[in-house]
Amino acid sequence: MRLISMAWRNVWRNSRRSMVTIAAMAFALWVMINYMGLVDGMIVGMEHDAVDLEVGDLQVVAQGYRDDPALDLVITDEGALLQGIDALGYQAAPRLLGGGLAAVDHDSAGVRLVGIDVARDARVTSIASRLNSGQWLDPDRPHDVVLGKRLARTLDAHVDDQLLVLSQGADGSIANDLYTIAGIMGGVGDAIDRSTVFMTAGAFRELMVLPQGVHQVTVRVPAGTDLDLAAARVTALDSGQAEHAIDVQTWRQILPTLATMLDSTRGLMGVVAFIVYIAIAILILNAMLMAVFERIRELGVMKAIGYGPLTVFGLILAESAMQTLVATGLGLVLALPSMWYLQNVGIDTGVLGGMSMMGMSFIHRWTGLYSVRGVQEPVFILWFMVGAAVLYPALKAARIRPIQAMRYQ
Amino acid sequence: MSILRFQGVTKIYRQGQVEVPALRGLDLSIQAGEFTALVGPSGSGKTTALNMAGALDIPTSGTVSLEGTDLAGLSKRALSHLRRDRIGFVFQAYNLIPVLTAYENAESVLALQGVALADRRQRVMALLDELGLAGMEDRRPDQLSGGQQQRVAIARAIASKPAIVLADEPTANVDSETSQRLLGLMQKLNEERGVTFLFSTHDDRVLAYARRVVKLVDGAVAEDSAA
Ligand SMILES: Nc1ncnc2c1ncn2[C@@H]1O[C@H](COP(=O)(O)OP(=O)(O)O)[C@@H](O)[C@H]1O
Ligand SMILES: [Mg+2]
Repeated sequence: MRLISMAWRNVWRNSRRSMVTIAAMAFALWVMINYMGLVDGMIVGMEHDAVDLEVGDLQVVAQGYRDDPALDLVITDEGALLQGIDALGYQAAPRLLGGGLAAVDHDSAGVRLVGIDVARDARVTSIASRLNSGQWLDPDRPHDVVLGKRLARTLDAHVDDQLLVLSQGADGSIANDLYTIAGIMGGVGDAIDRSTVFMTAGAFRELMVLPQGVHQVTVRVPAGTDLDLAAARVTALDSGQAEHAIDVQTWRQILPTLATMLDSTRGLMGVVAFIVYIAIAILILNAMLMAVFERIRELGVMKAIGYGPLTVFGLILAESAMQTLVATGLGLVLALPSMWYLQNVGIDTGVLGGMSMMGMSFIHRWTGLYSVRGVQEPVFILWFMVGAAVLYPALKAARIRPIQAMRYQ
Repeated sequence: MSILRFQGVTKIYRQGQVEVPALRGLDLSIQAGEFTALVGPSGSGKTTALNMAGALDIPTSGTVSLEGTDLAGLSKRALSHLRRDRIGFVFQAYNLIPVLTAYENAESVLALQGVALADRRQRVMALLDELGLAGMEDRRPDQLSGGQQQRVAIARAIASKPAIVLADEPTANVDSETSQRLLGLMQKLNEERGVTFLFSTHDDRVLAYARRVVKLVDGAVAEDSAA
């Protein structure tokens, strides 16, 4: 008890030095908390965008389709599969995929055709929200199509222009039809931006002469569901598939680079925090060494009259712990408003020219995501570094020999 | 009974290649209740002898024993406890812990010993009162005069009722009037409470106060008034 109040008074003996130390620690903590929050926000945002706009949590295709995506390699009994997935409590939407050539007036380009079950699709992706102009597909207007942003530029296409699509139907016939461009997407990701033409599933089936089956089923699972487990459950629905067994993959398997990148980004954070705190540790080391050296005599007297080395060690430790405690409180209090701002308002990355990574244009507004862990970690690392830094001065103080100390001027 | 005993104690300090003999065969025995002044010219070994007695330094040869125990046989930890429990220290200056009040300084050894708060309070307040420090309990050392600081140090040294109080030039940093008063006070404590004092000084006027005067020259006893 006496030791604690002694330590507290010692901290304020050289109040300027203590205040500088505390301010530096608080600032570092503030920076780290916000930095961690922003990185967590970015990770979750990227994962969300990848899952939400493109791949879904799980993707189901017919066995072999991934290696050789042939038009006739379909999931044959999609009705049963969709029902089965619905029964698991997941959301699912089928997609039809094909390729062809599209032209607007004299401009033409190779395209990826995506046939959508509009109602179901809306439940698994938020792609419709990324429309830049015009409107999204509507089952009542089967001849509407929506084009990716860069494809539209390539074709010099505008909303309400006519789009001619040429391809080969499943039966080998020449497929061609004329569509109205109902909408043009904003930036989503390379594949969609460059070459995708969205159409209704009905229009796709008619064009490609594919009355039955789907190429892909996109599945969303409730937040927090174990993806591998969900994939296993969906795979288990396979029994209904007569011709081809289905192949279920999680988004992590489909986008492995993104998945590992997101995972390693988190680990990288710890390293960055560590490096930032090394500067702080050096500051503490210096401040506490000064604090010890300028009272060698006093510490010597203390040891002479019977204070044990452990007590002296504890005193120095307590002094830096108190400064760290004050700094932690201050850092957290300062972090509150900035955390609120970054979480609720965020940074407009449009101002920075937008951000794109791994072919995904991911966030438009970069918001922070704050979790207990994202606050705990910087605090924990700060304390760890301070503890490591104060060890030497504290040991130095604990080992002072009274007669030498009392000679020391 | 002999409380403190030096037997053939030598201490040789090494400064680079040079050997500086500080004590050369010191034989001295201090009895309980004595009030002994250690005098002698500067460099005669007074501080060295008191450091040996206070278990702060070890002799090159010979033995120092306190209450019959040879200090050479004790561990660092045991020596630390011995200093806390059996020895009172008054140093020349910078005795007090600057962040503690007069009261807190005076009770610090008792607190280290784990004496109960109420007991501590009663003993320390009575002592401060006796040493003329009533009303100054809450002052920090920098709010006290040199003489008052030394009195707090004396209070701290005797509060735990040690076997002996060692004081190395306790009056060196105060004016002569204060010096006289401090010595008078120590003498009174010796007479009324039976506190054993061994203190060094190079002030001749002290001789009037001391009941026993031991003069060191070149690290050995040259004169002993008790002999
Ligand atoms: N740590 C030390 N290193 C070297 N020489 C020392 C040391 N301490 C004391 N001495 C020497 O030992 C002798 C006795 O010193 P000291 O005990 O301080 O004498 P006094 O207190 O009587 O003035 C002196 O010559 C002094 O220079
Ligand atoms: Mg001396």
